This record gives sequence, structure tokens and C-alpha cells, in this order.
Amino acid sequence: MRALTYQGPYRVKVENKPDPRLEHPQDVILKVTRAAICGSDLHLLHGLVPDTRVGCTFGHEFTGEVVETGREVSQLKKGDRVVVPFNISCGTCFYCQRGLTGNCENSNPASDVASGVFGYSHTTGGFDGGQAEYVRVPFADVGPMKIPDDMDDESVLFLSDIFPTGYQGAEMGEIKGGETVVVFGAGPVGLFAMKSAWLMGAGRVIAVDHVPERLAFAAHFAKVETVNFKEVDDIVLYLKDMFEGRGPDVCIDAVGMEAEGSRTHRVLGLGLKMEAGAPTVLTWCINAVRKGGNVSIVGVYGPPWNFIPIGTAMNKGLTLRMNQCNVRRYMPHLLEHIRSGRVDAKAIISHRFSLEQAPEAYHLFAQKRDGCIKCVLAPHGHA
Amino acid sequence: MPERPIPGAAADLEPSSRPGVPMETAVQPLAGARVPITPQHSAVPVYKHAGRKQMPPVYGTAQPPKGLSGVMRKAAYGYPDHWARHWMMLLLADRVDVWEHRLRRSLPWGLPAVAALVVGGVTWRRLSRA
Repeated sequence: MRALTYQGPYRVKVENKPDPRLEHPQDVILKVTRAAICGSDLHLLHGLVPDTRVGCTFGHEFTGEVVETGREVSQLKKGDRVVVPFNISCGTCFYCQRGLTGNCENSNPASDVASGVFGYSHTTGGFDGGQAEYVRVPFADVGPMKIPDDMDDESVLFLSDIFPTGYQGAEMGEIKGGETVVVFGAGPVGLFAMKSAWLMGAGRVIAVDHVPERLAFAAHFAKVETVNFKEVDDIVLYLKDMFEGRGPDVCIDAVGMEAEGSRTHRVLGLGLKMEAGAPTVLTWCINAVRKGGNVSIVGVYGPPWNFIPIGTAMNKGLTLRMNQCNVRRYMPHLLEHIRSGRVDAKAIISHRFSLEQAPEAYHLFAQKRDGCIKCVLAPHGHA
Repeated sequence: MPERPIPGAAADLEPSSRPGVPMETAVQPLAGARVPITPQHSAVPVYKHAGRKQMPPVYGTAQPPKGLSGVMRKAAYGYPDHWARHWMMLLLADRVDVWEHRLRRSLPWGLPAVAALVVGGVTWRRLSRA
């Protein structure tokens, strides 16, 4: 089959590799119909995630059609169209039984920091991802959700990760109604966090980014106020001043480890690898949010550590909430938001590519050129 | 503040309507889950970190370790994942992996080129002495 493969930092190519096969009785093989490129795939592309091996196929946001089923699979059959959560979850372990499918302990031997994840290095289990013609999907009766006949693949594609992740980000902000919410990062996850904050009854939602096109899109798509942090002297003081000198009630970090805004963190984290990336946005969240406020982290950070002002967080009495998204539990609820028209998820797709064009798509997305918000690949063509 | 910023604003105002509240649910297997889970078998080496007692029943087998980077990764997984050296060794192994692949890819033209340079150099030296 044809598949995108990692060739080293900043280098990916599409090449032939063996078709995936059933390796466990609960596996299915999917013919991938749509695969999106996620912002967190860029951390892999940039060589920031440990144990990313040459030849690895990225892609943890995809839909597909079942072409082969393992002998213990009972809920899916050949021909079913499904959308697949990025986490690989058994449904029976200590964590899955408590709804924490993003923390499943039965799918990743390499590390306790995460469950198995499709196409996200051997640190998350060594599974190939969906930016390919075919993909192996373990625990097929537990994770994948059938796509309703009246809905197309692109409408539900983002239930695999970014919509639930953004929603969980807002949910962890513990919005009760009327709060002021600042979302750092107007990328795809941030956009869904903004929408979700409104769904939960936020009183004001502000997007912070430095890419004018993204801020303009956020204002249009999520109906939020926007702040370009490169156009203000000090983003923390600016946000505090916006809210009577105290700061917002909730700050959501939808950026993670490759944040702009601090030369010190970029040199220490991205250049010298003395910390796991640049935790600039998390630092801003802790400093900007009001005392007693909530900081919600859905941006991805790597092990082993980061330099963040944890003392400030303690002294301000903050609540810090975070997790990989427990995607499966959000899918039915968010499907209804899409179906009802409350959230037009596929409106964030700015670029569509064939699988062969995937390297070009990665570089366009990484450089945020051409107003790029979200790239979607169609490994078998755009039907 | 817009009065009705998006369609459905405050539709999920009630925390009990949110799928992730409370974050930990009552204990129950998920729909479709099957126990016991049949253990997966692999013909290629798959590492677990030293802080983990046994292999999980399911894992990935993509890109088996090989070469010097494989040796380094095996050593890294000898340490638990809360040790910094576990991660630093893996990051180093990633860079070695890239160079191993570049070297392997360049062998078809690199070896003849090196051989030609060596032979040419020796010949040049002998001719210069003559």
C-alpha cells in the first residue's frame, strides 16, 4: 500500500509499505477514506517526540471502511463506515471502566504516560497511523463509531480527536455560566474549545494567537473576540487589564510544546532540549488567569519535564486540569451537535489533498501558509 | 458580549449534560468490550519500559528496532519511564536511526564512489612517486 512515512526531522515522504494485517482477534483493517493532519503531528514531524522511528506512518484522525475483521469482532462487519478515536482503548482495564479511555493501560507497553495512539511514535505503543491507504485498528468493538448513513465522512472526521479534545478542554474549565474564557491557540483544537465554551454558557470568549488569518477565522467561525499577542506589549498584563486587573476566570492551553512568544523557552526546549518543548502558553495561562481560576491543558507536552511557574499556581489557588481526551465518551453527544447544525465541524477544513501530496500538506500546515487551518487527505481520492 | 453568540449557546450549560462530568464514571466495562483479552503474539521484538511488570495484551509492531539505534532503544527501555535518561536515550537513538537510514540509502551509490576515490587516490600517489 501507499503510506506517508517519517524520514527524520522535517522530512516525510509517501512510499510503498506492506499492507497492515490482523495481529489480534479484536482487530479490524480499515480502508482509509479520510485522514486529517493534526497540530500534534507537527511535534512528530519536528522530531520532538521520543522514539519516533524512521518509517513510522503518522495519522490519528481518520475515517474508513471495514475491509477485514478479526475473529472476535462482533459489532463491525465488512463495509461498515467508521470514525475512529485516536486513543486505542480496551474498554475493560481499570481506567477504561472509569471512562478514562485516554489512559487505557492495555495498549501501550512503552510508557505509562499515555494509552496506545495511532501513528504517534513508539512512545504511544508503536501503532502505524491512518495517513495511508489502510490501517490496523485494535479493539475494534470498543473504539470506532459507525457513521450514520445520512452523514458524510468529513462531517464526522473531527470526532476522532479535535472536536472532543476542544470540548474536553472547555469542560475541564468548569464553566458554570457567564465566565470569561481565554483560549490560547486559534488552531483546530482551540476553535472547537471556543465553540464548546459557548455551548457551556461562557459569558465572554477570547482567542489569543499571533497568526492574523487564524484570528480572523476564529472571529468568524466561533464568534469570539481576538487578541494578537505580538501586537501587545505583555499578553499577561493585557488580559488582566481586560478583566478589571484580575484576569479571566478560565484559561485554556490549546497550543502545547511548540509555542511562540518566548525566546528563552524556544532556545531551552526546542533548541537545547533542556525541557520538553516551549511551555510559554502554559506559563501565560498560570500568570494571566484570576486567583482561584481554572487552567485547562489540552495542548500536548512531552516528557520528562518543563519549566513552569508551579509556585505561582499554588499561591493563586488555581485549579489545573488536564488529560488526553477520552474521545469515545464524547462521540455520540458531539455527533448530535453536528447533526443539529450547532457546530459545522467540517467548516474548518481549509485544504484537501491526495495522499501523494501529503508532504506538501505537512509543510503548508507547519508554516501556516495560505490561510491553512486544517488539511485533510483522501487516500483513495475525494469521492 | 453577543447575546446569542452561536446557535445552541448554553445548550450544555447543565454540567450533567456534559459527557465528561464527572471525569471518572461509575465502574463498568465499555460497550463492546470483551474479557479476557486474548494476548497478542509478535514475531518481532517489542520493548516495554522497566517500570511495567508485563506486556499489555495488545501493542503495535511497526518499525521493529534494528541496528545501533535498536541497541540504544533496548538500553533505554531498561529504565523506567519516569527516569530522564530513558527519554534522553530514546531521543538520541532517534537521531542515530535517521543517520543509519541515510547511510543505508546511500550504500548503492556511496560504496562504489568511496571505492573509486580510494583506488583513484592510491593510483595518483603511485603515479606521483614514479
